[in-house]
Amino acid sequence: MRAFLVLVVVSSVIGAQESGVRERRSVAIDQRLAADANLRIGDLIVLAAEAGGTGDTVRVGAITRRTADPSEIARSDFRIRVHLDQLQSLTGVGDRVGRFAVAERDGRRETEDGSGSATVAAINASAFGFRAYSSAEVAVESSATFRVVNRFHKAIGVITIVASAIFLLCITLLKVDERRRDVGALRLIGISRASVVRSVVIESSLVALIGSAMGAFIGWGASALVNWYYQGFYGTPLRFTVVTPGIVAFAIGLSLVLGIGAGLLAAQRLVRRPPLELLGR
Amino acid sequence: MMLRLALHALTRRRTRTALTVAGVAVAAAMLLDMVMLGSGMRESFRAFLDQQGYQLRLAPRGTMPFDTEATVGGAGAIVARLRADPQIEAVSPVLGGRLFRVSSANDAVPAFALGIEPAVQSDYKVEEGRDLAARDELVANDNYLRAIGARVGDTVRVAAGYDPQMRRYAGERALRIVGRARFVMLGGAERAAALPLATLQAMGGDERRDRISVLLVRTRPGADAAAVAGRIERDEPRLSALSTADAMKFMDERLGYFRQLAAILASVSLAVGFLLVTTLVTVSVNERIGEIAVMRAIGVARWRIVAQVVAEGVALSFVGATLGLGLGLITAQWLNGILATFPGLPAAFDFFLFEPSMAFRSLGALVVCGILAGIWPAWRAARLPIAKTLREEAVA
Repeated sequence: MRAFLVLVVVSSVIGAQESGVRERRSVAIDQRLAADANLRIGDLIVLAAEAGGTGDTVRVGAITRRTADPSEIARSDFRIRVHLDQLQSLTGVGDRVGRFAVAERDGRRETEDGSGSATVAAINASAFGFRAYSSAEVAVESSATFRVVNRFHKAIGVITIVASAIFLLCITLLKVDERRRDVGALRLIGISRASVVRSVVIESSLVALIGSAMGAFIGWGASALVNWYYQGFYGTPLRFTVVTPGIVAFAIGLSLVLGIGAGLLAAQRLVRRPPLELLGR
Repeated sequence: MMLRLALHALTRRRTRTALTVAGVAVAAAMLLDMVMLGSGMRESFRAFLDQQGYQLRLAPRGTMPFDTEATVGGAGAIVARLRADPQIEAVSPVLGGRLFRVSSANDAVPAFALGIEPAVQSDYKVEEGRDLAARDELVANDNYLRAIGARVGDTVRVAAGYDPQMRRYAGERALRIVGRARFVMLGGAERAAALPLATLQAMGGDERRDRISVLLVRTRPGADAAAVAGRIERDEPRLSALSTADAMKFMDERLGYFRQLAAILASVSLAVGFLLVTTLVTVSVNERIGEIAVMRAIGVARWRIVAQVVAEGVALSFVGATLGLGLGLITAQWLNGILATFPGLPAAFDFFLFEPSMAFRSLGALVVCGILAGIWPAWRAARLPIAKTLREEAVA
């Protein structure tokens, strides 16, 4: 059962070592609570359903680390894991639970039509007053916030790509323009337009390739930095950014396309002009 | 004269200039969006809090308002004590809960329910019909009315609890829908209804008797809200008092990621704009070294050369920033549309808020970048040895 009524640490440490007293029940607290309330394993605390209410004295039996759950990272509340019956008694809800977690024997079984878990379908068809969800459905529901963040990041990515494309085109044009005298001379000694275009495209492709490889390396470093910062900031082992081979391939592929496009455009503009004009005559 | 020369230099290579302006415009749009994102969330949230007209929010000790299902008992006595306080002008008690439409079929439609005192409530605005006046009345939002297929004037049978195992409702009541309302702090997709506090408490049975989730407190003009909050926390140890400043701090913690992202992307945008203008102006100056040497040879002063090159940078940044302003407003609408789909976010909450002073300051920073971008190449061009440059460039 998940505690949906807040348990408040009414009194902090009663005594680090309690002697001659009956064995207390234990609770597990999360690292953040342990750090903020200066609690250690073995300490005694009083838990109550509300501040000032009658509570139970329990012993801190374990300090837990937060799981990599995206839905919890921005939450600053503390977590205490209490024995089910004790929580039911403290909150006065009686013999009730918020949910059951069910592990399937021999792994997941699919329905005949392949529409989902057979166990989930069986529970929903027969259990009185229950609604069962698969882990995947729960994950989708609890990560709704992150789907929005994901869409936002993609939108920012589109703007960045537009800015990068303009930047790359601009730099390529400048670089090619700078060499117009060389190109004029090459054309005068008989080098064909196609050869000039090819050389410019190869050059801009190489620049895009090297630039994107460097970008992937910088991205990998930035990703490590972002993970290090936000994992510390939110106190979670969750990985915020991941550089996958697919992302690297996409970045390099896109850069190449942009590089080739920019090179072609710049070269075409250059070779259309007469060689003497390129030489400034 | 200098301005004309600068303009001529820019129009000589139109494609290049147009691309640079486009690049600066995209960078300016991104910069503007990020500035709007950085300040928009805070100001939008502050506007929500101010709109409620209460400076303090009291929630069960250790919790944030409606962040958990925790409630506080003995609400009547607490409210009476607070209302007797000479520093306090108004107190609005609120109880949160669930409301189920009673149905013989297994389709209880759940909604978020607010138990309020109509005279002091600030959670909704009635858009059709009227506000609550009697204990057996209810106002609901569009989503809830649509879900239960009811209209203003209908009487519906609702319950405060539903036991799915026994398919049994708890705390049933027949309530008349007297108004259609917009709930200001709820997400656009949420179903919600408000009913008199006493009714919701009674429907909740012993679990909800004389309990509230949140108390909103308005202090009298001239009273120190922070001091009142401190005093309430001392006198009522079961409550945490949250001022608007505390709520803003909490908001900053929850949405800190977006502010940091906005700051980083704004800095990157400034750097990109600076690099673009620097590159173009530097290349442009390098191409015109001979021309500049001739100008120096016929007696044009160094500062005029510098002024001309800097004017080129400023013109590029200014035109780019102006275009970026329009582009930024369009992209902000698009990005706001994406973030507005955050689950549970109030429908009218804006992530991107246009504040003219802030926007013009950030675009001004981009123009300053344009000035800085032009200074180095301008200074280099103005200090060229005239005779040597003429021999190498102009004469050749």
